Amino acid sequence: MTPRTALGPSAAPRIDLVDARSAPLLARPYFAAGDPGPIVASLAQVPELLGPTLPFLGSVLGPSWISLRDKEIVILRTSAVMGCRYCTEAHTVVGLDAGLTLDEVRALRGELPLEDAFSDAGERALVNWCDAVAQGVEADIEQARPRLGGSDAQVVELTLLVATTVMLNRYATALGLPTSRDVRERLVREGL
Amino acid sequence: MTAPEQALADGILGRRLWLYSNYHCNLVCTYCLTESGPKVARRELDPATMINLAREARELGFTGVGVTGGEPFLVPDMPELLVELSRVLSVLVLTNGTLFQRALFERMAPLSDADVTLQVSLDHPEPEVNDLMRGPENFRKVVEAVPALLQRGIRVRIATTLEEENAEDMTRLCALHRRLGVGDDDHVVRPVIRRGRAETEEMGVVARYLDLEPELTVTADGAFWSPFAPTVTRGVLDTDLLLTRTVQPLQRPLDAMLAVVGARPEGADSTLNIR
Repeated sequence: MTPRTALGPSAAPRIDLVDARSAPLLARPYFAAGDPGPIVASLAQVPELLGPTLPFLGSVLGPSWISLRDKEIVILRTSAVMGCRYCTEAHTVVGLDAGLTLDEVRALRGELPLEDAFSDAGERALVNWCDAVAQGVEADIEQARPRLGGSDAQVVELTLLVATTVMLNRYATALGLPTSRDVRERLVREGL
Repeated sequence: MTAPEQALADGILGRRLWLYSNYHCNLVCTYCLTESGPKVARRELDPATMINLAREARELGFTGVGVTGGEPFLVPDMPELLVELSRVLSVLVLTNGTLFQRALFERMAPLSDADVTLQVSLDHPEPEVNDLMRGPENFRKVVEAVPALLQRGIRVRIATTLEEENAEDMTRLCALHRRLGVGDDDHVVRPVIRRGRAETEEMGVVARYLDLEPELTVTADGAFWSPFAPTVTRGVLDTDLLLTRTVQPLQRPLDAMLAVVGARPEGADSTLNIR
């Protein structure tokens, strides 16, 4: 399974992103240290969503007992499969910082065969699980589960990570969230 | 008692719930917070929502409801709505006082027996100066309307919004409102707040949220910190003092307000006495 679409350039967002000056009262703490990024800047349109949403995203996407490398494999692969430009670009950089190689990133983005970049069968099974869950085809999921292995607890957390990433992919794509300048610059420097 | 109920009972949060019935207005005042006027987009709270909010507010411990806009009396059936609201909570309605023709007066007769007070704007004792900010004929219509309302047994307050305080003008204005039948206790004076059209015109005082009393305010756009908060500048709603988009259950914006109050630095009470 390969990523759905080639990534296009950032277009203008389809909503106004809230800035520090117009940040609602409940959103102000998120702007205190500077630009909090487009997910927060968009959620701030409905400030009561910030309180429950950001801790949830932090719990699922942030550091946990699953390794950072595995988590970034999941997020980047899922985002690429879903064709989400914003999440793919952002997590290409996060993935590199988490220790993924350029070839691994390219493979997760569908630009190289997986086998050329990932020698570990367990990691290839993880990618396979991401593809199946993101696409949501029951038969593919049924096939991918035995290859993934792991405990039920690992499967639950990895699956919630795929599902949450899909949610964010839809969100970022629908709203046309813009990739930040520093991410763009890094991608250019890395030849990505 | 819940934390918000306790905060209302202790006076930490204002005990009047403000409702922006609408944003449109027959006037285009120079310092208007909401850039109201005849041509602005119609954004209204529907009457059933307003009554439901008042009922929720009463259950939570609010003691009054304020209705403002825009010009509330441009909303069809406003007199009837005010009577209905007054069966739930004491009502204060802010009006420019320029729409009270005979037909409207007749429909307002029931207000004399209801717990409803009209707060009419009058800014200066000189018609020319008053009308410069509030529009032609404003002074004449207000000084005619106030005694006529009082004569019908309807309670009236006068609100004066000042760009610059002048003692002599204030003395003459107070003499005027007394002549009209409105006592000193029913005269409210406040500064122009530099938001909305006043910001564009560079008028008034800059007010941070710490300067504004926390009085929960509901509009068609959400719930805000104070009735001075849901302003419109250059056609765009100001969201800096937005609490929540969700307004029902009222507990939700009230909880948000309490969270903000709890995060205020010590001693950061209001300093401008803006009410």
